[in-house]
Amino acid sequence: MKLVHPSAWSLSTKLAVIVCLVVVGVATVIGVGVAKKDRDALRDALAGQARLLARWVATEAGEPMLRNDIWPIYRLVRQTAAEGDANRKTILTIMVLDTDGLVVAHLQPERNPIGLPLAVHDDAERRSLASAMTVTGPTAFEDPARRFIEGVAPISVAEKRLGVARVRLSTEQLAEATREATMIVVSRTLPLAAVGSLVGIILSLGAVRTLKQLAESMARMGRGEHVPLMLKGGDEIARLGEAFNRMAEEVAAKQRLERELAQSEKAAALGRIAAGVAHEVNNPLAGILNCISTIRDHPEEPRLIERYLPLIERGLLRIRAIVRDLLIEQRAENASEASEPARLDEIREQILASIANRNIVLDWNNDVPDSVQVNRPRIQQVVLNLVENAIHAMPTGGRLRFAAVIADERFLRMAVEDDGIGIAPENLPRIFDPFFSSKPEGTGLGLWITARLLQAMGGTIDVQSEAGSGTRFSIRVPYERRGDGPAQQ
Amino acid sequence: MNFWPQVRGGGDGVTRRRFGRSTLGLLALTAVWPVSGLAGEAPVRIALTAAAVRDKLPFYDRWAAYLTKRLGRSVQFVQRRSYHDTLEMLRAGELDFAWVCAYSFLQAEDAGIADFVAAPVFHGEPYYRSLIIVSRDSPAETLADLQSKSFAFADPDSLSGYVVPRAMLRDSGHDPDHFFRLSFFTWDHGQAIEAVAEKVADGAAVDSYVWEYMAAMRPEIADRTKIIDRSGQFGFPPMVARRGIEPALRRKFTAALFAMTDDPEGRNLLQALMLDRFAAVPLSHYDSVREVLQRSLQAQLHVQSQNMPR
Repeated sequence: MKLVHPSAWSLSTKLAVIVCLVVVGVATVIGVGVAKKDRDALRDALAGQARLLARWVATEAGEPMLRNDIWPIYRLVRQTAAEGDANRKTILTIMVLDTDGLVVAHLQPERNPIGLPLAVHDDAERRSLASAMTVTGPTAFEDPARRFIEGVAPISVAEKRLGVARVRLSTEQLAEATREATMIVVSRTLPLAAVGSLVGIILSLGAVRTLKQLAESMARMGRGEHVPLMLKGGDEIARLGEAFNRMAEEVAAKQRLERELAQSEKAAALGRIAAGVAHEVNNPLAGILNCISTIRDHPEEPRLIERYLPLIERGLLRIRAIVRDLLIEQRAENASEASEPARLDEIREQILASIANRNIVLDWNNDVPDSVQVNRPRIQQVVLNLVENAIHAMPTGGRLRFAAVIADERFLRMAVEDDGIGIAPENLPRIFDPFFSSKPEGTGLGLWITARLLQAMGGTIDVQSEAGSGTRFSIRVPYERRGDGPAQQ
Repeated sequence: MNFWPQVRGGGDGVTRRRFGRSTLGLLALTAVWPVSGLAGEAPVRIALTAAAVRDKLPFYDRWAAYLTKRLGRSVQFVQRRSYHDTLEMLRAGELDFAWVCAYSFLQAEDAGIADFVAAPVFHGEPYYRSLIIVSRDSPAETLADLQSKSFAFADPDSLSGYVVPRAMLRDSGHDPDHFFRLSFFTWDHGQAIEAVAEKVADGAAVDSYVWEYMAAMRPEIADRTKIIDRSGQFGFPPMVARRGIEPALRRKFTAALFAMTDDPEGRNLLQALMLDRFAAVPLSHYDSVREVLQRSLQAQLHVQSQNMPR
């Protein structure tokens, strides 16, 4: 199984693990507490027994010691140990020492010969011997290494101190009790943890099912579908589901509304365009028809033809310009998405030609390599439209700037800037409307078409302008890289 | 204060021992009640000491019942811890018979307290020895190897368990009072064997009869010991009678002991004691004991005179 960071675990796993940990944690805390208390109680009991045994040996050994009668003292030691063993108390050792620390009797006589100082092998033994030799009454203490509990009792007869009795009980019993308690805790905890985890899994699966549905529904909503959630119960998650269902309905309603609105807007725009076309075409047509009518009414006046023919021609040219622009717009809108190298430098010559006999300087800064793929006809149309506008804005000449760079992984950024007459602030909001033009001879379709082209490509256009000092159009348009190859110049 | 006594002969040691014994006498007094109370007459009391084997006390009930039948009087065995106590009770008329060490017997005879009744015959002879035993895995090979070790004696009035080993030490040029690091009394030969088996004592001097008995009956104890030295032979601890006892009772008792081989029950009892029979021996039989006794006394007197303030 692959290890996954806990933060990435599914909610059902997390909940099960948390429940499991909590159950095991609580059981462990309680178990450790119980085991410790148990051990302490047993320890105290053992200490009491050690004290009692030491006291018993001390009492019984007093008279024989007074009489230098060694053998009965050894028998006492041996018998006490035997009785301790019979009572399942592991007596590690019993010893009787005189006031000089010489062995009077020892349960292990071979290693602790009588009449010799007690053999001590380490500092802990030495310290416990020293403290045992000075006890004033029966006492018990636990060995620092916790191997045994020692009971010590002074031996005295008629106020004369003769020595000391020491009894050591194994703490194996304590360890065993602790082990048993631990086993009980473990054996109780495991099933509890298993049951707890199972409950946790079932509960979390219930909760998570709704959440999963929610996530799926959200994803489908992103794709425009709307599937209401099937909800059970009335808990927080169910309420969340309800809220989601309501929200989804509202979103759907809003989307419907937006679609309808867009539809009606489109219809309205179409109407406006149609009206604009009608109006724009109607004016020259009316003039032309007027001219023709006048000519027909006065056949005797050949000068009229001479006078009106240019007017008729101008009117027809205007109509042709409008139709041409509309065709361009139509072509552009229908142009395929096929990407091809940008080759922006191609249009540079065209621009130079159009400013040839005007007092205009061109600053051309194209940093877009040919490897960049764009919809070339549309882009070129956009740039040409903007350049045309700029040229018109500088009737007395000026400086025309063009710059193109790769903005980021997805977009190119281009700017067309002039230092011409600028746009009056009140006109700025309307410059992208069809048939809006501040120029008497303009069709008012150029910027509208530009904006429509960019919109079709997924790009944007911005304008900054100040009356008298110039205008700057900034556009962003998406691009692709040719293959995976590096950009080429 | 040093708890350890220097075991030595002489006045100081004797005083200490007397004090010990008088206290012990009360503690260790374990009476075996008469099997049947015959009306009118007091029971016949026989004392058992370290000379007898005492590991199976119900045996003595059986023996008492047997003797009761033979004597026509209730017989009671009583346990006495030390020979000294036993002699004192014989003197006081508290006992009728006693099974004592040869050394105690001579002391009692010399003091006019008791008379010889019968000597047990062990392995065909009325003799026994003192054995020096050590733990089975002890490196000691002779009594001399036990210098500065701990040693168990049976009883200060025991021939095999005290007098003889001390004499053996003296004979080999050692001072028995300072030879051992530490010595103590177990008041019983069997217990002395056990003290060595348990390695409380590095060595002990025991009655050869008791050791053989233990080797046969309690091998789990005796097998943990081995014999490294043995003395010459001495007259076996006899059964004695209080001087002044009714002659008829003494005769009857003696006859009953001698006749134990004549009936199955008596033979059975003798077998349990690992004895062949009870027999009469001449008093000269105990001459070797007397000799050791005198040598020991002289040695003690010598030590005492040396210690006397000038």
